[in-house]
Amino acid sequence: MRYGTTIKVPFGPQHPALKEPEYFLFEVEGDFVVNVKPRIGYVHRGLEKAFENNTYMHGLYLAERICGICSHAHTVAFTQAVEGLVSLEIPQRAQYIRLIMAELERLHSHSLWVGIVAHEAGFDTMFMYLWRDREMIMDLMEEISGNRVLHAINTIGGVRRDINDEQANKIRKYLDKFEENIKNYIKILETENTFLKRTVGVGILKPSDAIALCAVGPTLRASGIKNDVRKDDPYLVYDEIPFEVITHDGCDVFARTIVRCEEMLESIKIIRYALDHMPKGELKVKAPRTFPPNESIGRVEAPRGELIHYTKSNGTSKPERYKVRSPTLGNLASVCKTLIGAHIADIPIILAGIDPCFSCMDRILIKKRS
Amino acid sequence: MEDLIKKIESFGVLEFKRPKERRIFIRIKSEFLRDLISFLIKEYDLRHLSTITGIDLGEEIELLYHFAYKHSIEITIGIKVPKSSLKVPTITDLIPGAIFYEKEVHDMLGVVFEGHPDLSPLILPENWPEGVHPLRKDYSIEKLKELIKK
Repeated sequence: MRYGTTIKVPFGPQHPALKEPEYFLFEVEGDFVVNVKPRIGYVHRGLEKAFENNTYMHGLYLAERICGICSHAHTVAFTQAVEGLVSLEIPQRAQYIRLIMAELERLHSHSLWVGIVAHEAGFDTMFMYLWRDREMIMDLMEEISGNRVLHAINTIGGVRRDINDEQANKIRKYLDKFEENIKNYIKILETENTFLKRTVGVGILKPSDAIALCAVGPTLRASGIKNDVRKDDPYLVYDEIPFEVITHDGCDVFARTIVRCEEMLESIKIIRYALDHMPKGELKVKAPRTFPPNESIGRVEAPRGELIHYTKSNGTSKPERYKVRSPTLGNLASVCKTLIGAHIADIPIILAGIDPCFSCMDRILIKKRS
Repeated sequence: MEDLIKKIESFGVLEFKRPKERRIFIRIKSEFLRDLISFLIKEYDLRHLSTITGIDLGEEIELLYHFAYKHSIEITIGIKVPKSSLKVPTITDLIPGAIFYEKEVHDMLGVVFEGHPDLSPLILPENWPEGVHPLRKDYSIEKLKELIKK
């Protein structure tokens, strides 16, 4: 023991690292964290209860609103779960459109996150470059769906909007530029000393801990474990599209950054392939309004990792139970482990390192102020 | 995975279904939960718990443990616990990642996980009335809103 006594330091709910409220109680000894206790629930909106009180069609829009960043991933999981209740097959073209939107969303989410990490590391120039480039992706999503966020492109049984040739060409053109920039940024991040000093060896998550604590997504892959729902449990048309699962052996914040950067390059390849191979055809099939008693799981790779939705139907137009587990809750145990032994000054960058999305994580309770 | 059903027969299996590729649902008697999970960890290296879902069935609470075998096949193990004695042994010693999932179910449905290191509230506020579990069916949205106003 270095000091013999420990001091309790509260972080949040108004947060030093992120723009969303969550509370962590740190026990520190000198400059080192020896224990951490998270307390979530500050942005609960009672969504799981709300699902039970609304029809499946309403539920689709609720699912969209679980998260402002990965809203499309939530509706893909929702539609997968609900369509699974009656084994509804959706048209090929709709699957491709869902996939293209999902990958665009991954691009915007990852570039947003890498920007935040650069900002936390004190590299604000990179933050601004990345957020400028992210606007290209936001423009593309607006072009396709009509909205920058909350795209509302999925519906039960297919998609609501098509991607025409003109839009496809615009996507190709923007992606060329985006790809060139990201490649450049990877070079800079890998060589910039100030960034390396703030991230290499910071927030170590050993592979054995990552597995034991059930980490998901880029956090798990940055600990060297090859795991991606798109590859392991393929949904939509991911099994038809060639792509690599990116891993890194660094186990630190730097590894998490590089994994996400290189995943962006893979996503660009996936979108290009999908645009070239998208079949012509219908956009949706007719879906029932009521669902017979059954249960089903929707499982997708959201930008932050494995996202799982479970639904149980009871023969009516409303679900008996709807459960959502977002990737941030999946990574909460591993980030707490990672924080133990860290310097106080590294807390924000380690917390930011899992790409936490607290609105996703909190969802069940009715908000106190409602 | 093909012979899974034969291997786990002795664990009090009540229902086994495979609605589609890579989705397996197993319902067992609740006393076999830890034995079955230990067996699956040993034989199949089943390490990834995706989440735990709790469902209010009226007289009972159903708990669904969603595991991902090799991150690919989603195996759901279901048990039912009577509301008169809502106690389940924890699995946090077998799967450390279960820690927050068990806490969440404890907050929302009032299931007590025996042996869990810390069942203090994770989601509900500190001043939340004891015994009120928002995801129980007897608490409607209106009833919860009334409660919060007080």
